[in-house]
Amino acid sequence: MEDQACPRCKTTKYRNPSLKLMVNVCGHTLCESCVDLLFLKGSGACPECMVPLRRNNFRVQLFEDPMVEKEVDIRRRILRDYNKREEDFGTLEEYNDYLEEIEDIVYNLCNNIEIIETNKRIEAYKRDNREVIQRNKTRVGRDESALEEMLELERVQEESRKKELDELETEHKKKKARDKQALIEELMYSGKDAAQIVTEFAEKAEKQREEEKQLPPPKLSNEFSTGIKFGQTADPTLIPVPKSEEGPLFVYEPLIAITDGPTPPPTNEIESLGYISHIRAETQQENAGGFTATMACERALQEALQGLFYTPTAGVAVGI
Amino acid sequence: MYPVSSQKKSWTFANESQLLAFRVEQNSKYIGEHDSECQDSDLEEFFLTPAEERLLLKQYEVYLFDFCRRFDPPMPKCVVGTAFHYFKRFYLNNTPMDYHPKEILATCVFVACKVEEFNVSISQFVNNIKGDRNKATDIVLSNELLLIGQLNYYLTIHNPFRPIEGFLIDIKTRSNMQNPDRLRPHIESFIDSTYYTDACLLHTPSQIGLAAVLHAASREQENLDSYVTDLLFVSARDKLPSLIDAVRKIRIMVKQYQQPDRDKVKAIEKKLDKCRNQANNPDSELYNERLRRMYCDADYLPAGGCLFSYC
Repeated sequence: MEDQACPRCKTTKYRNPSLKLMVNVCGHTLCESCVDLLFLKGSGACPECMVPLRRNNFRVQLFEDPMVEKEVDIRRRILRDYNKREEDFGTLEEYNDYLEEIEDIVYNLCNNIEIIETNKRIEAYKRDNREVIQRNKTRVGRDESALEEMLELERVQEESRKKELDELETEHKKKKARDKQALIEELMYSGKDAAQIVTEFAEKAEKQREEEKQLPPPKLSNEFSTGIKFGQTADPTLIPVPKSEEGPLFVYEPLIAITDGPTPPPTNEIESLGYISHIRAETQQENAGGFTATMACERALQEALQGLFYTPTAGVAVGI
Repeated sequence: MYPVSSQKKSWTFANESQLLAFRVEQNSKYIGEHDSECQDSDLEEFFLTPAEERLLLKQYEVYLFDFCRRFDPPMPKCVVGTAFHYFKRFYLNNTPMDYHPKEILATCVFVACKVEEFNVSISQFVNNIKGDRNKATDIVLSNELLLIGQLNYYLTIHNPFRPIEGFLIDIKTRSNMQNPDRLRPHIESFIDSTYYTDACLLHTPSQIGLAAVLHAASREQENLDSYVTDLLFVSARDKLPSLIDAVRKIRIMVKQYQQPDRDKVKAIEKKLDKCRNQANNPDSELYNERLRRMYCDADYLPAGGCLFSYC
């Protein structure tokens, strides 16, 4: 935001990042000080487009692009009147047409196309649908107020919690001060040995700290921090996630190897039967990689014996 | 593992007549498509007959073996086996008139190097080829995808080398033969001879391996029949006759192999130059024309029967 300069005084924005830009209905921005300057004189006109303006039309700019501000403003104004909902329409097509009409109007007004025409359209619509608009206005009002109430409640709770904590803090401090006072008085007036008194107090402080650690059991809450009650679905329109069908449990079946030949000796017997003596032993590097001579031996024997029983499916040899 | 591999399911056939049928079919299909090109001479005289194709391919198999033997850096045996396998499979479903064996040879070896994890860069590879290196690079790279597609993307080959090692270990452990390692050179030469036959398309790698071991044993005047019958097949005597049959067939195939006659092959090559599919001939005008059009015109895609994959 710092690289945006007020179009009038230009330099002031860079020097003072806290300075805000104000925008109004024509979409042009002015920094706060310039607004004061221009509109103190009484006769208000935008310095860029010369459109007559009022002082209270200025609002703090939310968006960087003034065109966006302007559009947001127009949209808010239009939607106050065009407030029908999907339930008010018979078919989806009608609703879509309605939405498209709103977009057309906003676009026209934003880009200064056929302003008079468009305004006439708005007036005509307002006249035709007066009751519906009114009804919707009150309905919207109800929803909004419900939300607002919830927000209020939250805020109040937050505040009371803060107050509690603060009180606890002060209590704590006062207690500490009192203890210190007591220690000093003891030292001054009692006849006991000084060191002993100090150790007594230290022990008492320790004990108190222990007690504090065992906090009171937390109040059994019956709602989440957002106010949604436990044990109730927040939104009755949401259906619970369907439980997926679990098939039968996996059961391990050992692999049956098809050899189509005499069976080779099993792995554990390769060494004992003496096959291994005819293979060179694995080097250290190979052993580190997990390779053993038994594997090579076994593989050679398996490959030798598999496929020996194979016979071609049909026919007699005919030489070429 | 081999019994559940694609090699067993899709690329092992019943007998040689089935293979012959495939090859004849490809030959007649090609002639059927291109018979307009032969003008007035006799079809038989212009195009290659299946027998001539067979002879040609045998010669190129010899070249393939030579190429692998002289390869620098030295090529492991499994790469050779895989390359041969690819070569045979490719020409089961294609005719040499469509794709010249010279090009497919190089491509098979290149893909085999990659699949068997024998790392050779394309520049190292073409250093072993005599002639124009750039052209060779282009040919090999553009045919690669074609080859893989024609193999139906089944690239894992089970070679007989590991079964042979397994048999040797077994013999050393369980039978009482003296120094079985003297069988090794005979085994190697036997396997090299099987490359020129169709054994790999008809039998399992362990059967070929066993045939090699038995052949080597008979060369060394040893008899391993007792090993086979008593130790290997002790639990499945009824399967023994079919295995003996298979081993016998393999050994017959190897024995019956004859080196092709050089002069005849030269004559066939001359014929091939005339009748080959010019669209796939890198020297021809048609090919270069297509290439040029592909590069210049972004929408141009030639109709079927084309080599191109990476344009």
